[in-house]
Amino acid sequence: MQNKKLARAGVGSQICERLKNHHVETCKDLLSLTPLEVMRVAGQSHDQSLQLLKSVSLGCAPKIIAAQELWLQREDLCFSTSLRELDGLLQGGVPRGTITEVTGPSGCGKSQLCMMLSVLATLPRSMGGLDSGVIYIDTESAFSAERLLEIARSRFPDYFSEPERLMQTAGRVHLFKELTCQEVLTRLAQLEEDIISCHAGLVILDSVTSVVRKEFDTSLSGNLTHRSNLLGREAATLKYLAQEFRIPVVVTNQITTHFSERPSSTSLSRRWNVQEAPGAQGERDSDYVTAALGNTWSHNVNTRLIVQYVDARLRQIVIAKSPVAPFAVLNYTVQKEGIRLEGNASKEMMSAQGTDPGLHQIRVRTGLDYRLTGAMVTTAPSTITAATYTTTTVGRCENTGV
Amino acid sequence: MHRTIASLPLAPSVKTKLTSAGFDTCADLKDLRPLQLCKEAGISQEEALEVLQTLRSDDGVGGVNPLGGAGAVRCGVTALQLLQREHALGDIITFCSALDSALGGGVPVGKTTEVCGAPGVGKTQLCVQLAVCVQIPVCVGGQGGQALYVDTEGSFLVQRAADLAQAAVEHCTLLAHDHEQQAALKDFTVENILSRLWLVRCHDYVELLAHCYLLPDFLTKHPEVQLVVIDSIAFPFRHDFEDFSQRTRLLNGLAQQLIQLATEHSVAVVLTNQMTTKVWNGQSKLVPALGESWGHAATQRLILHWEGTQRLASIYKSPSQMEATVPYCITEDGFRDLAPPPSPGPSSSPGPSSSVPQSKRPRVEARPP
Repeated sequence: MQNKKLARAGVGSQICERLKNHHVETCKDLLSLTPLEVMRVAGQSHDQSLQLLKSVSLGCAPKIIAAQELWLQREDLCFSTSLRELDGLLQGGVPRGTITEVTGPSGCGKSQLCMMLSVLATLPRSMGGLDSGVIYIDTESAFSAERLLEIARSRFPDYFSEPERLMQTAGRVHLFKELTCQEVLTRLAQLEEDIISCHAGLVILDSVTSVVRKEFDTSLSGNLTHRSNLLGREAATLKYLAQEFRIPVVVTNQITTHFSERPSSTSLSRRWNVQEAPGAQGERDSDYVTAALGNTWSHNVNTRLIVQYVDARLRQIVIAKSPVAPFAVLNYTVQKEGIRLEGNASKEMMSAQGTDPGLHQIRVRTGLDYRLTGAMVTTAPSTITAATYTTTTVGRCENTGV
Repeated sequence: MHRTIASLPLAPSVKTKLTSAGFDTCADLKDLRPLQLCKEAGISQEEALEVLQTLRSDDGVGGVNPLGGAGAVRCGVTALQLLQREHALGDIITFCSALDSALGGGVPVGKTTEVCGAPGVGKTQLCVQLAVCVQIPVCVGGQGGQALYVDTEGSFLVQRAADLAQAAVEHCTLLAHDHEQQAALKDFTVENILSRLWLVRCHDYVELLAHCYLLPDFLTKHPEVQLVVIDSIAFPFRHDFEDFSQRTRLLNGLAQQLIQLATEHSVAVVLTNQMTTKVWNGQSKLVPALGESWGHAATQRLILHWEGTQRLASIYKSPSQMEATVPYCITEDGFRDLAPPPSPGPSSSPGPSSSVPQSKRPRVEARPP
């Protein structure tokens, strides 16, 4: 819309010529000028300039609809993740037209979740899927076709008992490997065409952080702004495509260490004696692990799901930021069939409280478990090395120096 | 009278011709007829007429001003008239009584309010809550208006708006005493609320600017609209600009337009801003985005922030209210007061603030029984 030529927006040819001499050719160029500048450039009086701006605006302003029109299509607002409690909290699943981010330490299950969603998207609508293709942009080489098929076979054994259905599912997931920022940007610029040609109903970007971290050193001046601009542009493109095609977009993020130098009380809270949450007092002076890419990126995503470790087997999904869901914590494990929610019977996992999703502390794996597993065990397992996972209150975590 | 020709809102070519014909100030053009001016300056008859009409409207002399408000001198109002006007316009409540009383009744209609906050703290929730609350019927203590929601981030989800609408309907139904109120509430249903909530999705700053140029016409066509929310105004302006001075110019122009909109069409304009990290003396702190000059754009500024797991709202800038910080929370019913710590037992979602009509101003009592 913004690249629409002025002649097509109904501007007279004489004025178009005058504007062309000042390099004002598209709607975007004209609307980026203030009315005084338009007066000078178009050679018109103030009121005529305002009229000109108005008529050009008519050519590229978005349509105004009543929210009720969206409400009438409410069956189709979300993409079910097939995890019942998560769908319940998110009121249907991953919402269409928005960016959902999954962030967490390495090895926690972000790519597994993405692959599981890819399988679900290719299923027919009767089974809760989108019956569409999937565009999977992989920047970390974490995608495994074998694993995709294993998830499909284990999760829906009846449906995938016929081998050609497996082949069909695999054929609908389109994988793009992009290893630099420029490649990612180029791919996003072309994504509109790719979505149409692949009939895609889901776009996954795994991960948004790895290319950015390789190329931007935020300790150098100017790089932080540049990186934020790049991420902002990526987010804007993804949101535009998500909205126009009414599809969900899932991105993954990594973690970073937040060096805490927060003052112990800000002037804003001094007037209100806030009871601090237990455990928070001790965090004030220590560094902790949180979602990467900073505060600005936390604004850019619409939903943030944080995955973190509880112990060797059990992990958690935390709904940290969502327009519809309360702050909630669900336990899960990674199995053959993908993600399986376990042990979520109690309702105390939800609360009307929350934390800043940009600063939420994430629990990481602190030790490794070298115990022999499965058939190899002949004697009682002896702990070769200490297996330590922080099992204390929510919020404590260890710094792994990532 | 002493205004120079160059400062008039005319086309540059016309101004050049006038100055080269020897006219310097408006006094030189006084008492000229169009045909005479036409011959002396070498401009067309229509242009001459336009020049003289601009002069006349600038002076405030002459009856109908065909050019609209461009140079017209508006007659002033007294403070008493202003007070009466503000009382008539009212406030939009937020269902969080602590915040409403800190704001002096609610978000004022006819002024611009900015809401800044960290991600996930509840800016979008507050905006959707206001869009629902503005529609509460007048006889129950609301504004009875419609809302326009400009979404630049994609955070508006209609299922959440429906939840908030449902909770508001239930709350108002509990408050209705007499037949008149109950009759008015028959119209206050989730479907109707959503049909009176206008939604626009702007993907970049060009669409946002285009939409704002067309807003006056929309508001004239829909005079019941009393709330315009732009959520957020920061996102489209934060990543597309290399030239910050252009961004500042555009933002200032936008701010002016919105203030004019608020006063002329009697709407409350609510803008959402993001936070940015500012590195200062080796320390980083969060400040509202879009720069220092944007701070002057809105009449009132609210900052929503986290303290641990607690959400707080602070009035950061207001010409009429004291700086205050109040707690609030987001429940499944929407934006509400923080419940007092419950006695030992399972935690439950706190009920909405006690009284809708009591936090409203006297115009409810002024109505004939």
